[in-house]
Amino acid sequence: MVCVEKLRELAWSGIPPYMRPDVWRLLLGYAPPNSDRRGGVLKRKRLEYLDCVSQYYDIPDTERSDDEINMLRQIAVDCPRTVPDVSFFQQAQVQKSLERILYTWAIRHPASGYVQGINDLVTPFLVVFLSEYLEGSVDSWSISDLSPDKISIIEADCYWCLSKLLDGMQDHYTFAQPGIQRLVFKLKEVVRRIDEPVSTHMEEQGLEFLQFAFRWFNCLLIREIPFHLITRLWDTYLAEGDALPDFLVYIFASFLLTWSDKLQKLDFQELVMFLQHLPTNNWTHQELEMVLSRAFMWHSMFNSSPSHLAN
Amino acid sequence: MAYRADDDYDYLFKVVLIGDSGVGKSNLLSRFTRNEFSLESKSTIGVEFATRSIHVDEKIVKAQIWDTAGQERYRAITSAYYRGAVGALLVYDVTRHVTFENVERWLKELRDHTDSNIVIMLVGNKADLRHLRAVSVEDAKAFAERENTFFMETSALESMNVENAFTEVLTQIYHVVSRKALEVGDDPAALPKGQTINVGNKDDVSAVKKAGCCSA
Repeated sequence: MVCVEKLRELAWSGIPPYMRPDVWRLLLGYAPPNSDRRGGVLKRKRLEYLDCVSQYYDIPDTERSDDEINMLRQIAVDCPRTVPDVSFFQQAQVQKSLERILYTWAIRHPASGYVQGINDLVTPFLVVFLSEYLEGSVDSWSISDLSPDKISIIEADCYWCLSKLLDGMQDHYTFAQPGIQRLVFKLKEVVRRIDEPVSTHMEEQGLEFLQFAFRWFNCLLIREIPFHLITRLWDTYLAEGDALPDFLVYIFASFLLTWSDKLQKLDFQELVMFLQHLPTNNWTHQELEMVLSRAFMWHSMFNSSPSHLAN
Repeated sequence: MAYRADDDYDYLFKVVLIGDSGVGKSNLLSRFTRNEFSLESKSTIGVEFATRSIHVDEKIVKAQIWDTAGQERYRAITSAYYRGAVGALLVYDVTRHVTFENVERWLKELRDHTDSNIVIMLVGNKADLRHLRAVSVEDAKAFAERENTFFMETSALESMNVENAFTEVLTQIYHVVSRKALEVGDDPAALPKGQTINVGNKDDVSAVKKAGCCSA
């Protein structure tokens, strides 16, 4: 029996790569903490995914509605454009797996359906669950080394973990994405409390937080930092569990204010351009840890005393 | 038409890039503003933004171009960015007919959210993929004539007509704006509301006299 609360505490600061697949499955509540039940539950869930694929994905277009055809088309447009800077994701079979996972998820979540950017969210799961079967760095992997059985197990795990992750953020991807709008507003408030000069400067320049932070929330920062740092970032995300949406606000405030001095020197157009292409290419774990620990600190300071944010 | 520093301009025009997902909007923008093209570009989430200045009639016209996400779901977000736009490139993919069929919906969306004077150009992108063509030039031309928009085929990959398409739109906007400046005298405050046209405080009216000599 795993104590998930204890596991959250430990995982928050980073999980050793070899334990990551098991820990992520536990943190997301996909694998049960009771080790006697675990094998059986996972087996059943993986079969259920396969059933869904054959029921929804492996059918001719004539059996799909127009909306479903449109959705599949949109997913097919996006899969080749998913993390294109990592060559592994350019492999045709990887893109097919992505397509099956995304389409099956979208069909089973009609309130939102597929929204561009959700394709990015599958990629950390894919690399983590593939790492159970493939050795070395992602760049050297070839998915064709794996048997179809193994690939379907990995896909199933990605599917269920994506589902669990997004269950906690349902209104982030429904019409007009109110959940994201709410968090963007909260981010603006938190930044104002933490760094008045930056906040004032951005406001004077007419910069809206929605103009840059929308993508951050929509893709959970996958677009903004090097891919090799993403799994570490996600250790913290998943350790937060249900509290993740609120904590994202503090991570993103901390991320933004990494460039506090720089931002105050830029005018509107420079700000938009800078924030769209942040100079994180050479980031290492060190910069990321700094963002996370500052987020932790600000979260403890402000979240426990909401009156700090009141006016 | 040299690339030049951003800070100095006579006119600032807001232009939006719209159209279905995957038709090449972001690559048209990067080709025009940075002369770059990427076969591996990511989908646009929400909106993105770039600028470039060009010369029109010895004036410096700065284009502030907003690139929008193509997926229908994002329209609630992206349509907010139409406000104040004085130009639009409505892009479809000449190899995917469905993206041309959707042009009508985009046009309606655009006209619902913008000033009636907005300059619109229909752009058939990916014209380099000749063997895959699914939309004829004639069909697109006919549509553009019927809807009273400009029309051009482009290839962001081959850098074909990209410069022309943007320049034409900016030039036409310039003509609309300078004509207006002429009508209302030289009081920039009298410009219709809802347009973020930044009319320089120099000789706007005299610029109008030279209009007509610079069409692409």
